[in-house]
Amino acid sequence: MSEVAEHYTYWVTIFLMVAGIYILIARGNLMKKLIGLATLQTSVYLLYVAPGKLIGGTAPIIAEGFKVYSNPLPHVLILTAIVVGVATLALGLAIVVRIREAYGSIEEDEILERDRAEDERRAL
Amino acid sequence: MKHDIILRVIAKLTMPFMVLFAVYVQFHGDFGPGGGFQAGVIAAAAVVFYALIFGLETGQRLAPEWVVEKMLAAGVLLYAGVGFAGMLLGGNYLDYFVLAHDPVHGQHRGIFWVEAGVGLTVAGVMLKIFYMFAGRGRVDEEDR
Repeated sequence: MSEVAEHYTYWVTIFLMVAGIYILIARGNLMKKLIGLATLQTSVYLLYVAPGKLIGGTAPIIAEGFKVYSNPLPHVLILTAIVVGVATLALGLAIVVRIREAYGSIEEDEILERDRAEDERRAL
Repeated sequence: MKHDIILRVIAKLTMPFMVLFAVYVQFHGDFGPGGGFQAGVIAAAAVVFYALIFGLETGQRLAPEWVVEKMLAAGVLLYAGVGFAGMLLGGNYLDYFVLAHDPVHGQHRGIFWVEAGVGLTVAGVMLKIFYMFAGRGRVDEEDR
C-alpha cells in the first residue's frame, strides 16, 4: 500500500494522460480536443519533472554541507517541452479558427457531414 | 465586460501586482525558481487580463502591436548580442566568464541579459498570439 502511495506522482501522471487521450478521442468539438491534447502534454511534463526532484535535494551547485542534488536536466528538458507545447497549441488554435471560418462550425461530425455532402454534390 | 464595475476595479487593483510579480520572477531567476520564460508569460498574462476586461483596443493602447513586434526581435537580438559580446571580449560565443573582471560577476551579468532577452521575446510572442486571435473575428465582421 505504501509503495502505491509513495509513487503518487505516477498515478497523477497516468490519470492526466488517460483523461487527455479520452478527451482527444471521445469529444467531437475541436476546442475540447485541443484541451485534451494540452492535458496529455501536461502529464508528460509531470512524468519527467517529478523524478528529477529529490526530497531534501538542492540546486546542483557545489557547496559545503550539501551532498544531495536534484537533477536539473529533466527540468530544462521540460522547460523546452512547455515552450514547444505552447507553440503547437497556438498552431492548433489557428487551424481551428480557419476551420471555423471555412465551415462555420467546430464540431467534427458537422464538418465531416459538410465534406461528404460536398463530395456527393461533385460526384453527381 | 467593459461595464462591470467589480471587474474593472479588481483589474486595476491587481494589474500592478501582476507586473511586479513578473519583474520579481524575472530578476529572481538567477538565484531560485524563475526566469525569462515564466516572467514573460506572467507579464503577457497581465496585459491579456487588462485587454479582456477593458476591450482589445484599450489593451493595444497599453501595449501597441508595433511595440510587441519590436519586442519579439529585440529579445532575440539581446540574446545573440550577449553571445557576440563574449566573443568580442576574447571568449567563446555565449561565454559568460569574460563579461566582467570576476568570472562569477561575469556569470551573473551574462545570465541577467540572456534572461532579459528571453523574457522580452516570450512576452512579445504571447501578446502577439493573443492579439492575432482576438483581433481576427472582428476584422472579418467589418468586411462583411
